[in-house]
Amino acid sequence: MSVLSLRRVVSPLALCALTAVAGAQDTTARVRELDPLARLSEATRYQVELLFDSARVAKLPTAPLESKALQGIALRADGRRIVAAVRAVFRSLRDARAALGPSVTLDELKSAAGALQVGITTAELRHLAQTRHEKQLTVPLVVLADLVTRGVPRDTASQTIFQLWQRGAADDDFLGLWRGVERDIVSGTAPGVALLNRAREIPSRGPPPATPPSSARPDRSENPNP
Amino acid sequence: MSDELDSLDPYVQWIASEARRSVAVDPAARRRLLEAVRAEPVPQRHSRVLAWMLEPRRLALPPLATAALAAGLVGIGVISGLLIHRDGRLATEQLPSAGAAGSQLPDSVTPRAVKFVLIAPQAARVSLVGDFNGWDASANPMVTQGVKGMWTVFVPLQPGLHTYTFVVDGTHFVADPTAPIAPDDGYGHKSSVVLVGGSSL
Repeated sequence: MSVLSLRRVVSPLALCALTAVAGAQDTTARVRELDPLARLSEATRYQVELLFDSARVAKLPTAPLESKALQGIALRADGRRIVAAVRAVFRSLRDARAALGPSVTLDELKSAAGALQVGITTAELRHLAQTRHEKQLTVPLVVLADLVTRGVPRDTASQTIFQLWQRGAADDDFLGLWRGVERDIVSGTAPGVALLNRAREIPSRGPPPATPPSSARPDRSENPNP
Repeated sequence: MSDELDSLDPYVQWIASEARRSVAVDPAARRRLLEAVRAEPVPQRHSRVLAWMLEPRRLALPPLATAALAAGLVGIGVISGLLIHRDGRLATEQLPSAGAAGSQLPDSVTPRAVKFVLIAPQAARVSLVGDFNGWDASANPMVTQGVKGMWTVFVPLQPGLHTYTFVVDGTHFVADPTAPIAPDDGYGHKSSVVLVGGSSL
């Protein structure tokens, strides 16, 4: 085959190959766009979808589970870790629903699940829910989870938030508390001390604090997600 | 009328009378005329141009030029893919003004424009990932405007509790220092929480 003939054959082939590669990349991107979980291995995906099914059966939202799986994909976590993280979210959502009841909002459910993940017990959640008086639990629970994550002792954090809740503290009070504690911790104050100091600054807006029932005392055996 | 003709020149009168005289028409003439018209080929407009366009031609390109052409086509596709999101919005397009940030819309299901800010002077690129964009680092790139190292992005978010984090230089996941920390994400990274539509977290 002459050089000229070779060129005539190779050039179209190269063009076709490049077009095919570009097309394949585009197809892969579209598949990932339509089905983000396609990046999981078959075994991982199977286990994750089993958890989705379990959530549907329990009438729990699947979006937080899918989000957790996608977060794992973005962080390039291995399959076992992704399954474990999704399972932890499923369990905490299930327990939060059991503690707060069926009338809970999605935001309350998510924030309660987060509180369970930092060690708050279902008994404490249940007690908060019983004294909610039509108020939303989302902000207090988000602040509670944040405080524990920042190093405030769990019991100190839960009791302080509970007392403020009982005294009728509003969302803005909890947010002001969080900002103040965060600043104090950055300034070098011990997290627990910072919380107690800042909590004293919040005026009472409701009835005097009720004593938490014994069932609301910390009982870590009730929390499946320590 | 006849009086007027009578007053004209005899030659003109002859022409007028000839013009008025009925002519015996061959009954087959109309048919023959139509057949002749039908037998004519349909005229083709721009037939030469069309023929030139349809004529097979041999395009000779050296392999290097072919590869360059193909790479160019692929490049156009890649750039188009980078610039346009799945919803058709340009990657660099932002919501109208900073004044929209934090504005309270009456409808509880209407998305709100939320401004995210990260101070990262050493970063070459920063993007926002969260449960609202499927943790896709290409969905919400942040830009620096004005203050050097201050990366911002406006994102329309549905009311509710959202978890998010910043991706710095494509590899570092950084929680928002101005927002509450989300509980352990199970992957060893810290995320942040924002509540849209209620009290501003």
